[in-house]
Order: sequence, then structure tokens, then C-alpha cells
Amino acid sequence: MSLTAKPVAAAPSQARRARRPRQDWIAVAFLAPAVLILAVFLIYPLIANFRLSFVDWNGLGNTARNVGWNNWLELSRDAVFVRALGNNALLAVLSILIQLPLGLLLAVALGRASRGSAFLRIVYVVPLLMSSVAIGTVFRNLYDPNFGAINVGLRALHLDALAQDWLGDPRFALLSVIAVICWQSIPFYMLLFMAGLSSMPAELSEAATLDGASPRVVFWRITLPFLQGTIRSAAVLSLIGALRYFDLVYVMTGGGPTNASELMATYMYRTVFSGFNIGYGAAISSAMFLIVVVVAGLALRLTRRYQTEV
Amino acid sequence: MKHARWTALTLVLSSTLGLAQLASAQSSLDLWHLQTTEAGKAVIQKAVDRFQTANPGVKVNVSPTPNDTYKTKLKIAFGANAAPCVFASWGGGPLYEYVKSSQVVNLSPFLQKDQAFYTRFQPASWSAVTFDKQIYGIPGENTGIAVVIYNKALFAKYKLTPPRTWPELLKVVATLKGNNVAAFSLANKAKWPGSMYYGYLVDRLGGPDTFRNAVLRKGGGSFADPVFVKAGTLLQDLVRAGAFVQGYNGLDYDSGVSRQLLYSGKAAMELMGTWELATISSENPTFAKDMGFFAFPTVPGGKGNAGNVLGTVGDNFYSVAKSCKTPELAFKLLKAITDTQAEQDRLADRRLPPVKGLKVTDPLLSQVSAFVAKAPSVQLWYDQDLAPQLGELHKDTSQALLGLSITPQAAADQMEALAKKLAAGK
Repeated sequence: MSLTAKPVAAAPSQARRARRPRQDWIAVAFLAPAVLILAVFLIYPLIANFRLSFVDWNGLGNTARNVGWNNWLELSRDAVFVRALGNNALLAVLSILIQLPLGLLLAVALGRASRGSAFLRIVYVVPLLMSSVAIGTVFRNLYDPNFGAINVGLRALHLDALAQDWLGDPRFALLSVIAVICWQSIPFYMLLFMAGLSSMPAELSEAATLDGASPRVVFWRITLPFLQGTIRSAAVLSLIGALRYFDLVYVMTGGGPTNASELMATYMYRTVFSGFNIGYGAAISSAMFLIVVVVAGLALRLTRRYQTEV
Repeated sequence: MKHARWTALTLVLSSTLGLAQLASAQSSLDLWHLQTTEAGKAVIQKAVDRFQTANPGVKVNVSPTPNDTYKTKLKIAFGANAAPCVFASWGGGPLYEYVKSSQVVNLSPFLQKDQAFYTRFQPASWSAVTFDKQIYGIPGENTGIAVVIYNKALFAKYKLTPPRTWPELLKVVATLKGNNVAAFSLANKAKWPGSMYYGYLVDRLGGPDTFRNAVLRKGGGSFADPVFVKAGTLLQDLVRAGAFVQGYNGLDYDSGVSRQLLYSGKAAMELMGTWELATISSENPTFAKDMGFFAFPTVPGGKGNAGNVLGTVGDNFYSVAKSCKTPELAFKLLKAITDTQAEQDRLADRRLPPVKGLKVTDPLLSQVSAFVAKAPSVQLWYDQDLAPQLGELHKDTSQALLGLSITPQAAADQMEALAKKLAAGK
């Protein structure tokens, strides 16, 4: 991935070779600000965070105490962390299984140009424009077991048995929040797929249609293979997003009840800011970082292999 | 021409320099608090204005922040060495973390010099801010103790009287449940409202020393004490009796939903801090007419006095950060925001500052006042009293107990394991 990694196919001319050091200079000059920002705001905090994971510290004054690998050992035995990791995994799987297909479906449906679709496109993008805190507050009210629209509606339809304690029952809390997360994220994937579709030459599907292919066949044989790269990026984005998810869960359940909807990020937040346990919180977030890097790396590699096989 | 321009520039420069000098001569103080109601903010702002008039050249930057955000904001500010001069807290375990890390000014020397100011406050109000016999905060805002608020009209309708004992309470629960009314409204997403039931049960069963000794690790005190297990068992009995509103572990207190359940008659009682009396009065004056409160019931055979209360006399407390360059001035500001005029303003806002000889005319407030005056013991909220890590675990286990997803024995064992570990680490 470095600047000089790619071998130049044709032998560079003398003139080019002469200009090269200067070009490097320019490249370095243009890259420097970005590298500097990355170093200050990403790489340095990352390293500092790893170092913090080896101390016991309440975050106040010079009271940090070195404890070696203790925080990491504790983390490996921590039932709450394991549960949070499981919840993140469930969120990742459901995100990919729900958000991607529905986003693709909407993109294809709205991509078929008709007058009404412009309006619908705007409607479907609305969730993306709202802040997560606002969405969380709205849905918390909708889910309210006593006054919320969902249960009131179900009872009005005499479906009292279906009226549940959506956020207060450990069986439903995580799934209830995941439903909202999907509602919020689908428009993003829809936009992504619409962008992908817009770069597809119209002749491809037109030619197929002329040859007598049904819309279904066009979708499976032409559109889907064409979108392969977009789908791959979307899946990886969704996976990474799910592993480091925080906001809606924090607003709607705070990770509760009884850790039922705890995610790694909400647990880390609680540990650091309510528990004054900076070192352990740093261990959680460092572990989160490692998990995301490994999973994202694996996902990229697997999907790449799949792509070359096709 | 050129000369004239230089003169003008010099003039401009010197005047800005002059202004800069003036600004540096003026000192400024930051004051962070968490009174976010209009009336609450106004009380402090008026006191600050008086302080600024009395101390010309001093500028006070006041920033009010809502509850949960405030806790995070304060912590980050201290961690980043950008602490405000004067800040509010609940005292107890979290404040002790700041004190232990020598971030907070010991106010005892100031108070010794100013006996008149010190003795104005009720003695009980100092306990939450006293560590190793030194005082680190000034009580000022309110007396907030947990009481059972109830709907008198609903009680009259079903011919109920406020229960004084646990068996009486269970009977009330049964009657209400038989009439499709939940006995208790509870919004326990943030976990501290549910923690109050557990705290009271521990007190009623074992008296105030059970918790105190477990916290201080003395006199054989332990969170594995049978009293803690028994408290969990009784709490779960209450849950199994169907005493709580539907969804209690997921409802958000800050959104006011637990009060709406009271207003709508879906629930008859709520165990909550006395600040709620003022909130209800301003939020729903009609309902407030039917509102009463009583003490948490006693448990037969238990050691705790019916008059013992859970809560805080002084909520919130104001402290001075060590990083403050002008601690004397900061102490003056503390005095200003808790002076006689400020206390009168708070009283008018239906709050009960913990000062002696307060003339209370409001019937509910005078009831609270009498209640506190007679209380043999005031126990600070568990989640605020405990060290932060232990406080988090306490909130987790009490929510789990209420959700019937943990056994009382396991809850007590988890608390004791962490308490032991933390004590060993010191």
C-alpha cells in the first residue's frame, strides 16, 4: 500500500526519472497534514489507550498504579464483557441479514424511474437525517409498555398477548433496539446501493431485457453481480459499525435491563465514566479495537477471495 | 502620512494592551452546578450577581448541566486538569475519589474561622462530605430523602391506609392488584430508583450499621451478611406479588413516565426522593391535592427504626477544586450561593435547604422538615455512598434482583467479592 509499492510496468523515461524526487516531495507535502492529523488524533490516542490498559487509575491526578496484564486477565473472565461481545455479534449478524437486503430492495425498487419514487426517496432517507438521541427518545416513547403507541395499538386490535414490555424485559430489550437500529441504517445502505446502481450502464439490462430476460433474471444475473463490490463494502461497513455500536442502545436501554442489551461500547462507557475505572475501560476499548481490526481484516480477505473466484 | 499611520497603529495597540491588562487584573471563577429548572438556575444566578456586586472585578462563569451529563463532564474536566473552581456533587463515594486524588480543597480551616456560617447548617448535613474528619463541601440545595408518595384518593377509594409494616404493605399490594392498579410506580432504567427499595429493606432489617460496617469493612461487616440476602429476598417477594408497574426495569425516570403512571391512576405509590413533591406540585397541581407521603414500612423482627431515612440532607454539596488559584475567593462564592437570601429563594421554590431555624409554611415541606428533624439516622443513597465501582455493581445487582434474574445470595456474594478486592487493592 506504500507509495512506491506498485512496480511500474514500462521503463520510465529519462525525463520522468529526473522529475521523480520532486514529485515525491510534493506527495509528501500533500500527505503531511493528513498524516499529522492521523498521528495526533488517532495513532497517539490508540497507543496511549493501550498503555492505560495496564494501569489501575480513577482518572484523577497522579494516582495511576501499574498492574501489568491484570486488566486483560480480568477481561477474559468477565461475564459481562463476554455477554456484551455476544450481543455485538448478534447485532452484526442481524444488521447484515436485515439492513443489506432491505437496503438493496429499496434501492432497486426506487431506482426504477417513476415520478413517485423521487418523493419516496426523500421519505426513506429521513431516518438518516435524524440524530440518534432524537430517534432513541421517540422510540422509547413508542415502546413504552403502558402508554406507548405500539402496545396501545396492539391492545386496540385485541392482541393483548402481543403487547410486551419491549425495553424492560431482558428477552426483548436487545431485539427491540436492533429493530430501531435497522430502521435508522437501512437508508444509508439504500443510498450506497443506489449510487452503485447509477454507475451500471443501462445497456446491460436493456440488452438482457431485449433478449427476453425477466426482471427477476436481470436482478440475479446482472444487477447483483454488478453490485458485488458495493455489497462487499456495505457488509464490511455494517460489520464494523455493529461491533462498535453505542448511541441508540445508550439512549434507549443504557445496556440494561441486567446487561441484556449491553454492548462493548456501553460497558466501556459505564466502566470509565460511572465506575471511575479508567484502566479497565481502556482494556475494554483496546480489546474492542483488536476485535474490530481482526474481524474487518478477515471479512475483507474472505470477500476478496470470493470475488476472484467468481 | 506614514507617520500618522504609525501613530494610529500605536494607539490601537496600546489601547488593546491596556484592555488586556484590565482583563488580567479582573479575576474569574468557574461555577458548575446541576440545577436546570428555571427557578433553580435563577436562585444561583441571583446569588452570583450579589457576589459580583460585592466583589467588583470578579467575574463568575456559571454553567448549569443536566444530571447524567454533569457527572461525565465533571470527570473529564478533572481528568484533563481543567476543573472548575467551584463545583456541585452529591458527596459520598464519587466525591471521595476526587478527595483521595487530592483534587479538592479541605474546607475545615475556612469553616473553623467562620463558626457562624458553619453552625447555620444542620449537623446531619455534613456527613456526606466529611472524610477522615475533614470537610470538603458545603450543603446547600435541598433535603432529599426517600419517602413513599401515594395517591390519597385512590387509597380512600379502596379503603386503604398507609402501611406501617411489611405484611400490611403486602396486603395493600394485593388489594390494589385485585383492582388492576399497580402498587408502585417505578422507572428503573437508570437503576438508582430501584436501589432505594433495597437500601430501605437493609436498614429496616439490620439497622443503619449493617451497611455502614460493610462499607467501612469494620466490626465484621460484610456484604455477604444475611441481612443483605434477606433484603433481596423480600424485594423479590414484592416483585412476585406483582407490586410494580409493567416494564419498570426499562422505564426512564428523567422522562417523567413514573409520575405519569401516578397521575393516570395506573399506580398508587412511588418510593422517591422528596424533590418529587415539588416536581409534582408544579407539574400537576390537581393531582398534588391528593398527594401524601409516608415512611418506608418496618419489617417485623427487624432492627431498623421506622424513622431512619435514606437520602441526603444537603443535596447538592458545593466544593472547591485544588486547581483553583483563588480559594479564598471561591469560599466567599460558596458562602454567597448558600447565604440567607439564597436559602429563602430556595424555600420559595419548594425546596428545603438544610439550615437551622428555617420558617417553613408549606404543609408538605414542613412535614418533610419534621421527618428529617426526628430521623435517628440518615443514610446517603447507596449508589452515591459506595466507591464508584462498587456503586455500579450495586445498581446492577439491585436491578437484576428486581428483574428476578439473580438470586439474593448471588447478588450479595458479588458485592462482597468486589468490596474485598477493592479493600485489598488499597
